[in-house]
Amino acid sequence: MTDLDPTAEADRLIAAALSDCVRMPAPRRLRDQLVRQHLRTRKPWWSWAAAFALGAATAAVFALVIARDPAPTIALVDEAVGDHLRIVSAQHPLAVEASDMHQVKPWFTGRLDFVPPVSFLGDDEFRLRGGDIAIFLGHKAAAFVYQRRLHTISLFVFADADPRSREETTVRGFHVLSWATAGFGMALVSDIGWDDLRLLEARLRN
Amino acid sequence: MPMALPRKPRLAVVADRGEPGASLAEQALEHVDELYGLARHLCATASDAEDIVQETYARALGGVARLAADSNLRAWLFRILRNCFIDQARRKKIVLEISDDSVGDRPAHEVWDTAALDQLRYLAAADLERAVATLPFELRFIVVLDAQGFNEAEIADIARCAPGTVKSRLFRARARLRAALQGRT
Repeated sequence: MTDLDPTAEADRLIAAALSDCVRMPAPRRLRDQLVRQHLRTRKPWWSWAAAFALGAATAAVFALVIARDPAPTIALVDEAVGDHLRIVSAQHPLAVEASDMHQVKPWFTGRLDFVPPVSFLGDDEFRLRGGDIAIFLGHKAAAFVYQRRLHTISLFVFADADPRSREETTVRGFHVLSWATAGFGMALVSDIGWDDLRLLEARLRN
Repeated sequence: MPMALPRKPRLAVVADRGEPGASLAEQALEHVDELYGLARHLCATASDAEDIVQETYARALGGVARLAADSNLRAWLFRILRNCFIDQARRKKIVLEISDDSVGDRPAHEVWDTAALDQLRYLAAADLERAVATLPFELRFIVVLDAQGFNEAEIADIARCAPGTVKSRLFRARARLRAALQGRT
């Protein structure tokens, strides 16, 4: 093994970390606005009428759903997917790589101002890969990473005083399952199927 | 006989609002995450960042700016975003700190032992972002472009400066980042 110049190695590590954080998913409302403004195509009048009718119906259904049970904020879901993408595309390993929860959980001590209420140790079906710090909704959050076959599942745990109802949302193909427990927000994100994600949720809640 | 003027490069109208422009708009919108990432590192707030990304696309696809034939769409969008950021700073009367290229940063005494390098391996994104935020605008701009994968010639083209200037700014930006991160991690 050759001896690397330590300063060059420091530059390489900083560059690797930078390349992970320079690409940020644009907020969905910005993306939607840009698409509306710049990808507009000319359509016959009846398509506008149909779109209007469909939009009105969707809005009515949406309003009913909102009135019954508020959906998770767009910010939470976007943030969860963005942080999950940062984890799966990162070139450097997780801050703590271990399949033993007794190694992963203590690593957060001193790095977070709360103890993440996660006790699921992982098993043969959901192998714990490790943990890391994520910035979630402007605050530090714990990220636990599980592996199910070839799929990566991120669990974000953040201090959250808002009581949130359990929600299932799909954004750009990623499933986000969020709930609240004892003053903490939890968000599971993966490209895995809903059944598997619900299975992991059940194990985390036990 | 009048002297012949040099021919201007052939220009391609980017957005005619018609069907041909649509595919270019689609291509341009593929870069929205990268542009937003740069904007977030330049602007103080997320809403300012969204504004300059909006303005970038408005200029690029609204027919204000034109893309020269055979030029790099991605680099062109980043150049427009840089101009939008400078215009936004002017409107908000923000004085941008410009690094003095004539002054070389004196190399500080640095010790990167195994423990210090390990700290960098587990660097928190928030610490890195704080360190990048301490850089003057031009250094921040160049270091983010470098991290986005642009080479020095492309960065020079986007930032409208000589490749040698890019090289020296990158050198100074890296030295400042190392200094900011040593002791912070």
